[in-house]
Amino acid sequence: MIQLEQISKSFGKQEVLQSIDLQVKKGEVVVILGPSGSGKTTLLRCINYLEKPDAGQITIGDLKVDTKHPTKKEIHALRQQTAMVFQQYNLFKHKTALENVMEGLTIVRKMPKDKARTISIQVLEKVGLGNKLDHYPVQLSGGQQQRVGIARALALNPEVILFDEPTSALDPELVGEVLSVIRKIAKEGITMIVVTHEMDFARDVANHVVFMDGGLVVEEGTPEEIFQRPKEERTRQFLSRITPQATYSI
Amino acid sequence: MSRRFDMTYVFDFIPKLLAYLNITLLIVGSSILLGLIIGMLVALPRLYNVPVLKRVSQVYISFFRGTPILIQLFLIYYGLPTILQWINIDISRVAVLYFVILAYALNSGAFVSEMIRASVSAVDRGQIEAAQSIGMSGYQTFTRIILPQALAISIPLFGNLVIGNLKDTSLAFTLGVMEMTGRSQTLGTATQHFVETYIALSLIYFVISMILEQGFLWLERRLHRHEAGAKQTSAVIRRKWLTRPVSALSKGGRSG
Ligand SMILES: Nc1ncnc2c1ncn2[C@@H]1O[C@H](COP(=O)(O)OP(=O)(O)OP(=O)(O)O)[C@@H](O)[C@H]1O
Ligand SMILES: [Mg+2]
Repeated sequence: MIQLEQISKSFGKQEVLQSIDLQVKKGEVVVILGPSGSGKTTLLRCINYLEKPDAGQITIGDLKVDTKHPTKKEIHALRQQTAMVFQQYNLFKHKTALENVMEGLTIVRKMPKDKARTISIQVLEKVGLGNKLDHYPVQLSGGQQQRVGIARALALNPEVILFDEPTSALDPELVGEVLSVIRKIAKEGITMIVVTHEMDFARDVANHVVFMDGGLVVEEGTPEEIFQRPKEERTRQFLSRITPQATYSI
Repeated sequence: MSRRFDMTYVFDFIPKLLAYLNITLLIVGSSILLGLIIGMLVALPRLYNVPVLKRVSQVYISFFRGTPILIQLFLIYYGLPTILQWINIDISRVAVLYFVILAYALNSGAFVSEMIRASVSAVDRGQIEAAQSIGMSGYQTFTRIILPQALAISIPLFGNLVIGNLKDTSLAFTLGVMEMTGRSQTLGTATQHFVETYIALSLIYFVISMILEQGFLWLERRLHRHEAGAKQTSAVIRRKWLTRPVSALSKGGRSG
């Protein structure tokens, strides 16, 4: 289980996260929605400490971290328990698809090379890239790169995978292949926190939906609660803006 | 007045000058090697943001980038013994070649340090975040992700540096060092065929520079081979790499 308690973060005078609480049960897929600038990315980045929260507590399984005064070891542990899939993929440019996936296993987990290779090939096959093992990132399409990014996260078998708009840098025709990979691993019971603007996907894959605005959790609930019967005016406005086809379609 | 131009002197001089190529290459090689070590040490406080040392290395870099290499040569050859004499160290008998190597090493060190800083900071921030996100330590991130990419970025800069250094060594003759340019002076004086010595000399420098340039290009291509993919042409990528940090390093204003 993952628990965030009163996570706060300011950039200068701007309060980007105002005491955020969030709970994610094991195997649950939590989707975070919200307008641009609402703090979704910052929240995800606080969980693996790419961004240092000003205050608050993060609990992942047995690991409890007071984010104000973490030890180096705790930061390292947070990053070992989590993995992230980035909007811009961020594959290691000088490594092949296989090497990208193996890197965390051999270097961080100190796994023997042949074992790491076996696992990495399995995971790359799972995301449909068994035939691209020796390709460098530039030789792959955006969709393929992002699937390697997912494989890199998946291979580490983390407590939770954090997705930050995994498809928003992709050409529209490549979005589908990435979303279907995420759907597939969601069904396998991997705990995920996903920031996305793909509403159909969110509705479909989420167990729990969180709507953020202005650094606050405005409303949260099941997909039905948020998408069919939103309580808050701000949620309604956001949903009608982002899914016009639902309101205006013939 | 010098004698009438005679092309045969050019061919005559080339081997005579080449006999001193080893001295030129010795100066280039050892000063670049020392410069790499100095440059790394000088780059560290800036990369790790160490308060006082950062300022010190900044001043060092500004001085060696901002003053003519000829003056630096004179300062080190004439100034250093004087300073060391104050603390009772006598280096007046040390061979001039060592002073020359030291001067070029200190000068290259400043440029190497800038090269390292520019190359490291040109590595995409996302690469570092990805490394951190999979749990790599700072050391692992540096050696496995930043360094290999920064190295590839730095090759063209380093190539410029070595070729610039090669050309700059020609100034060592002003202190009486018998390298190629120094030898050309004596040949010119002896034969009164100065223009021919300069033609021979420039041919030699030109050919060595070309060889170095090709070598660095090859190295650059090798280090960027993972970039030369099917989709984008390597030329496009190389341009992208080059547009970022190079301007900060262009050695405009240097002699040569
Ligand atoms: N490193 C930073 N320095 C200063 N301000 C920042 C920084 N990162 C984010 N911000 C600001 O914090 C606010 C929240 O940013 P964040 O990226 O978390 O929003 P988001 O919900 O992910 O938006 P989007 O949907 O556009 O990705 C924004 O106003 C942004 O300008
Ligand atoms: Mg964002």
